[in-house]
Amino acid sequence: MSILVDENTRLIVQGITGREGAFHTEQMLAYHTRVAAGVTPGKGGRRVHGVPVFNTVREAAEATGANASIAFVPARFTAESVYEAMDADLPLVLAVAEHVPVMDMMGVHHAARKRNCRVIGPNSFGVISPGKAKAGFMAHRIFAPGRVGIMSRSATNCYETVYLLTREGIGQSTCVGNGGDAIPGSAFVDILPLFAADPGTEIIVIIGEIGGGEEELAAAYIKERVEKPVIALVAGRNSPRGRSMGHAGAIIGADGGGSAERKEEALREAGVHIAESAADIVKIAKRLGA
Amino acid sequence: MDLMEYKAREYFEAFGIPGPKGFVVGDLAELEGKVIDYPCMVKAQAPVGGRGKAGGIRPAGDAAELRAACRAILGMDIKGRKVKKALITAQVRPAREWYLAIALDRAAKTPLVIFSPAGGMEIEEAARTQPGTIVKLNLDPVFGLRSYAATYLLSKAGIDPKYAPQFRDLLGRLHRLFHEGDCLLAEINPLAVAGDGTLQALDAKVTVDDSALYRHPELLAFRDEVEDNPLVAEGRKAGVLFIPCDPAGTVTVISNGSGMIMSSIDVLAKNGLAVGAALDLGGGATAGRVGETVRIALSDPGAKAVFINIFGGITRCDEVAAGVGDFMDRHGTGKPVVVRFEGTNKEKGVEILNSLNRDNVVFVDGLYEGVEALAKGRGAP
Repeated sequence: MSILVDENTRLIVQGITGREGAFHTEQMLAYHTRVAAGVTPGKGGRRVHGVPVFNTVREAAEATGANASIAFVPARFTAESVYEAMDADLPLVLAVAEHVPVMDMMGVHHAARKRNCRVIGPNSFGVISPGKAKAGFMAHRIFAPGRVGIMSRSATNCYETVYLLTREGIGQSTCVGNGGDAIPGSAFVDILPLFAADPGTEIIVIIGEIGGGEEELAAAYIKERVEKPVIALVAGRNSPRGRSMGHAGAIIGADGGGSAERKEEALREAGVHIAESAADIVKIAKRLGA
Repeated sequence: MDLMEYKAREYFEAFGIPGPKGFVVGDLAELEGKVIDYPCMVKAQAPVGGRGKAGGIRPAGDAAELRAACRAILGMDIKGRKVKKALITAQVRPAREWYLAIALDRAAKTPLVIFSPAGGMEIEEAARTQPGTIVKLNLDPVFGLRSYAATYLLSKAGIDPKYAPQFRDLLGRLHRLFHEGDCLLAEINPLAVAGDGTLQALDAKVTVDDSALYRHPELLAFRDEVEDNPLVAEGRKAGVLFIPCDPAGTVTVISNGSGMIMSSIDVLAKNGLAVGAALDLGGGATAGRVGETVRIALSDPGAKAVFINIFGGITRCDEVAAGVGDFMDRHGTGKPVVVRFEGTNKEKGVEILNSLNRDNVVFVDGLYEGVEALAKGRGAP
């Protein structure tokens, strides 16, 4: 089993005629993802790698019965694309672009909740359920099917972890890129219930980092509701205060808010196993019987 | 990005938030011909806080005092930043001082209005000493700001309803500024209250979302003006993010993602190596960009060694290696360059690095091996 994305996902690619959209459509098809349709305004009627292109998400969804969408569009068009997909009643919408304005995402986040839509990203590599399907741009060769569920604010830290896990013969049920922005469409606490309920996930890995309070919220949820073992890595313990470390969301406040120490403390208190590095995650996973 | 007060005041003015008249000078000559109402205030413009304590805010009763204050403030050093501009405003002696701000609430993912009748001091200080005086209200972005918000804030704070019309108007303007200005913070502290209900912003604090700067092109020039680290600007030109870290650090980290940079710094720090700066290549870097990044990294006088740590997904390891080789051919360095990569085209990359035949360029197969190499011979084999 897996969460969010699998062989039943029928995906729309928004921005499919763009360079990134076209390239990753090909990659997703190569991974046997069912890419049902593409959308680029004004380019309806074309095909990209055999996938039919529509002018709007609504038309694409009506014609193909698609049930998810991913926006391969620049940051300044991302909110508009996500609204369009939400307005077409798609239950799952992903966005990959980095540097989407906070103001845009605040609106998207709350609109999504009112429309019962799950938004993943932005600034996210997407979601992959190894061996089944992927919606995103992750280099899929390093992933292997298995029973570790991963969610991460960082693409590179997730890749490194997955690479080391796979090398040790430990596969993954689903890997979710929550994204590195200050306002994610879905935070750890939004994805946790899915992993907790998924019979195919035995160990949950959280790859967090400094900034915000998503790790603390996850810790509170885990303490009350999650029985499965959870491993967490919080990157950025030694980053300078008051400076964004590349990810817009990765910043320790001048008062020390959002520090790795506070997050680790909350997670540890919730019974989560704290890892100090990607290699450490693998060690702990092995110890837990993965 | 934090705006300095004079820049934030321009925002306030554009959205019709009332405040005392003022102007900004870069040197004494710019005082010539200005009409000034005495007494006035002279306020240092610096991209850091704590200017009051540093003597950066001074009253002036006449022209001589004004010149003396400007002379003292212009060029002064506040927390390592040189003051290049001074703001001169009329002096206002308010009957009372309130606090009003709209800030991003990351946890709730909404704007948060913060209001307190105990203004003037730092709000953190007020929260500690007089917690009962602070009223907060989250604004659902789908609803926006409605008129009942102002009513609620005043009622909850126990303020005379006679202030409501002015306050509602001011809150509306601040909210428009916050929203249209793509702010993470828009703060008025103190908000001066005259007996007749007239409200005036005596200070202006605005933080703008860096991701939204494309909607505010006028701020791009300001950003370059504020940035006093030339390597940040150089990195920007090369499409690379330069992040200054520990001023005492000697290792410079180059990586292809924010998460990887933070992890690298953590692993190095755990082994007693402090990182002075980090550079983020982003995804899919070419040999050209890698070479330029290494050049920028080594032009930092504090850099005694470079640690390149890459997980190659979209970024190819052979491009990274070629970039290092390119840099060595063009510029060269005797400083240790320790390279660790994993992923796409790793073998080809290792071959390229080995063929460079440079003692100070070392490939390591793993993060910990890299730390060891840096810690031991500072990278030398």
